Amino acid sequence: MNDLTHSITFGGIGGQGILKASEICGWAALFAGYHVKTSEVHGMAQRGGSVESHVRFGQKVHSPLIPTGGADFLICFHHDEHSRLQRFLKEGGVDLTLYLDSAKQAIDDPRYLNTCLVGVLSAKLPIQYDSWMKAIERVFKRPVVAENKTVFRAGRKIGQS
Amino acid sequence: MVKKTRRKKALLSGNEAIAYGAYEAGLEVACAYPGTPSTEILESLAQFHELDVQWSVNEKVAYEVAFGAATAGVRSLFACKHVGLNVAMDPLMTSSYTGTLAGFVIVVCDDPGMHSSQNEQDTRWVALYSKLPLLEPSSPAEAREFVKEAFKISERYDTPVMLRMTTRVSHTKEDVRLGSRTVPRHPRFERNIAKYVMVPAHARQRHVVVERRLRRLAALAERTRLNRIEAGQKKLGFITSGVAYQYLKEAYPDASVLKLGMSYPFCDETMRQFAKSVKDLVVVEELDPFLEEHVKTLGIKFHAKDPSFRLGELTPECIRDVVAGKPKRQMKVSKRLPRLCPGCAHWASFAALKKLDAYVAGDIGCYSLACLPPLSALHSCLCMGAGVTFNEGWRKAAPDKRIIGVVGDSTFVHSGITGLINAAYNKAKGVIMILDNSTTAMTGGQQHPATGLTIRNEPTKKLILEDVCRACGADNVDVVDPKDIKAFRAIVERRANEDALSVIISRHPCKLIRR
Repeated sequence: MNDLTHSITFGGIGGQGILKASEICGWAALFAGYHVKTSEVHGMAQRGGSVESHVRFGQKVHSPLIPTGGADFLICFHHDEHSRLQRFLKEGGVDLTLYLDSAKQAIDDPRYLNTCLVGVLSAKLPIQYDSWMKAIERVFKRPVVAENKTVFRAGRKIGQS
Repeated sequence: MVKKTRRKKALLSGNEAIAYGAYEAGLEVACAYPGTPSTEILESLAQFHELDVQWSVNEKVAYEVAFGAATAGVRSLFACKHVGLNVAMDPLMTSSYTGTLAGFVIVVCDDPGMHSSQNEQDTRWVALYSKLPLLEPSSPAEAREFVKEAFKISERYDTPVMLRMTTRVSHTKEDVRLGSRTVPRHPRFERNIAKYVMVPAHARQRHVVVERRLRRLAALAERTRLNRIEAGQKKLGFITSGVAYQYLKEAYPDASVLKLGMSYPFCDETMRQFAKSVKDLVVVEELDPFLEEHVKTLGIKFHAKDPSFRLGELTPECIRDVVAGKPKRQMKVSKRLPRLCPGCAHWASFAALKKLDAYVAGDIGCYSLACLPPLSALHSCLCMGAGVTFNEGWRKAAPDKRIIGVVGDSTFVHSGITGLINAAYNKAKGVIMILDNSTTAMTGGQQHPATGLTIRNEPTKKLILEDVCRACGADNVDVVDPKDIKAFRAIVERRANEDALSVIISRHPCKLIRR
């Protein structure tokens, strides 16, 4: 496997904004000039099923799916999904799920949990701050861009601490 | 959803990439009926306002409208999920004979692993059966390129072209380079009776053309850049297509690969030549042994996956087992199952049916989930429209049982109307319940004729379900809100005890509708 590929697994349940989170990540990596692949299964997820999304970026990404033990980072939006998804984390990979509770506390509106957790993640990835800001502008509708940026920064602070 | 952009690159799903590629190729007309994992193709195309894009009543209609446009001179596209193609098979098979005037592309999305489908059919066989060329992209970036190539092949070889996606390619997003739109000069629409009127005398002549075309396409398969040999180490080589290629490249970066982008007609010479160049050859493909069966006929020595891998998706974690010919390992991973949303009106509809202790003939939609506990109140789900027709069939075999057929509003328009006419005509009785949530909910809330809005949310003629049901021959048509529990149950019980053909429209809009 290409060591220069960065792999992140997101997981949770339908309606938690997991696909949006991976979209922010994907656009940020694109703006930073990487080759990006994100993969998700969302057929019946709107009906409350498990949702899982993989984001990979680097010089050249082949598989859109992260193999078992191949993720540098794991973020679960729901504790229930953790046992299912931790197999993806590589040895020495970082489990960002431990930030879930502090992220929940940092925000007033639970709908922004996804952006907050992406903020946490952003502190650990080789993507410049500007690319993240551009990604947020690209992914969200204008009225909620400012709020998402604020929440993102709150998350980023948690990730940097 | 992708906003319009002047940027050169965008993060696009495979489905969105198809839309951009087709747009750049000068597409003018696109038709589909929604179905996961194909739905986003038309939704993305609808954002290009110069295109004529529609949700059709069903796949057969969609195919015919789009193909009709192509035979009259504009590049057109039909998109569907694998089981949707079954509905369009009638026009598809003979469109292979007539050929087309302007480019026509069939995009079909298979669902290995059945993330949201009722079967796992491998649509590549349709190419063989219908004698149409088949392209298989392995990534969104390729999807954009391949759809452009598909239009060229379609026009050069006078044939519809199949472009086969899978859930993994459709729903992967990749940074994709965007290009500008060029509309080719329209060929002239003219009357050509021998080519387009498929009466036996003409069809016999056209069959000759089809066979000749197949030979020319086989020659193309040998030289197209869509099929390529990536020479690596001589020890190990793969013949592969689709997303499996990506998994192999990651797990075996040094191996040799014959990557098939045009997987039908088969490139026999290229396969033979590649087989000679490597010591151990393995054919790696998802689902059925489509390539495998053919490579066998060439007398080439090779290894293939264990038959247990004909089920489900290939994944990066199993790819080494696939190559080694080992059987599939059962992974015990508990997943949260989808279920009806809290507060969904279907709960109320099925609670009433459960109280009746009825045998419920089901259909395709969110309400299929009523088969799960605690409701366990739906007893069949076969295909679009069978909720209506199973009511009739079951009654013939079990006249003493209490039987109810259920069908969604979008599904009823898709395939239920003919079944209702059939029931009336053949003197069948019983209750058909239309679970009307005023949208195509399961696929994410698309419009259909009974919502009165088009794919672009423009107002249009609205199909009035109660009028249609009466016109079809239903003796009684009631419209009730299932959340009005007492009145709803009273109607259901009354109609279930009558000797008549009744339709109960259980109407309550889906809470997830975006307006």
